Formats: sequence, structure tokens, C-alpha cells
Amino acid sequence: MVLLQLDPFLNELTSMFEHSTEKGSVWVTLKRSSLKSKVQRNKMGTVGEPLEYRCLVRATDGKKTISTSVGAKDHQRFQASYATILKAHMAALKKRERKDKKKAALAHKQEGGSKKSKKA
Amino acid sequence: MVYITSWDEFVERSVQLFRADPDSTRYVMKYRHCDGKLVLKVTDNKECLKFKTDQAQDAKKMEKLNNIFFTLMSRGPDADVSEVTGKEQTEAQPGKKGRGRKQ
Repeated sequence: MVLLQLDPFLNELTSMFEHSTEKGSVWVTLKRSSLKSKVQRNKMGTVGEPLEYRCLVRATDGKKTISTSVGAKDHQRFQASYATILKAHMAALKKRERKDKKKAALAHKQEGGSKKSKKA
Repeated sequence: MVYITSWDEFVERSVQLFRADPDSTRYVMKYRHCDGKLVLKVTDNKECLKFKTDQAQDAKKMEKLNNIFFTLMSRGPDADVSEVTGKEQTEAQPGKKGRGRKQ
């Protein structure tokens, strides 16, 4: 597993989405982590040093795993780009079929309206 | 393990789960393009919450949840998520409009 910088991670993630359109899935995991081993954590705990936590983001397509870590400073920027990528690639989800209902409701309203105007 | 059908319940319970055990809770999103399916999972290795959908509107809701988890995980479990909704709030900066016209 490779720990990447934010932008290379997003690029890799994009290509994972692009390569899994015909078959396969993409998993993205978010986890809070101090990025320290248990031994290091215990040591810091006994010394009393505060642990710095970051958000560890891992992505896999079943063959390859990539990861990055997002700190408090850049989580908003990362979240924005991540959301853009998701929006662009989750095109297979169903849109709500609302158009017909809307049209029907509109026609109904117009009918009601015209009746009212006749009365007046 | 059963899928939770109500989105609001899923969000509420997953945030609760994370706050109860922030060190071992993870949030996984799985997207399968060929079947057009999206599965969200939050687990602390003891309890597992899952939500499944094929609707595009749920992907929008997921964006908010992503935002909540990014905030909780990078800023800490006590971070305030009430203001984090996924919308760009930076745009709504209080107006500097018409400043020059006053005189």
C-alpha cells in the first residue's frame, strides 16, 4: 500500500473509477488514525505526549490499494475535490423519475386554475 | 446484519457509533458502476451499520455524511458537525456589496 499526497491520490482514485465501469467495484474507507504503530502509541501515552490524529483515506479496486491522510487544515479542500470526483463517476445511479408526476401535477393545477377563472 | 432503510437513522447511528469508539470505527463506501449500486458501511468491529441504494439522490446525501466524517476524523470526535452540511458555505460571505456607493 502506498501512502500518497492528496492530489496524486485523487488522480489515482479517478482512474480507479474509470477502470471499473464495466466490471468491479471501488471501495473507499475513512478512518481516524494517528499513523503511529501500537508501540509508538504506547510510548507516547506513557510519556504523556498528545497524539495527533488525521483522517486516513484508503481506496481499493480489489487489485490495488492506495491511501492518503487528511489533516484538519486541508480536509475541506480534499472533501470538495473528492465530492466532485464522486459526482462525476457515480453516473450509474438512478435519477428519481419525477418529471411525469411533476407534469401531471402542473396540468392538474392549470385545470383547477382555469376553472376558477371561469367562475370569476 | 441488516441494512438500515432510513437514511436519517443511518446517519444518526453511525455518528453515534463513531463517537462511542473513534479509534476503531471506520466508514466504508463501496460503489459498483456496472450494477449502479452504492453501499455505505460504518463499523467498529462489533456493530455494523449498512445502507444500500441505487438512487442518485442518496449520493448527494452521502456527500454530507462524507463531510461529517472528514470533520470528525480530522478534527476529532468532539468537533461540531452541525454546520458541516456539504454545501459550499464559503460563498456566502456577508456582503461587501455596494460599499462604494454610500457616499
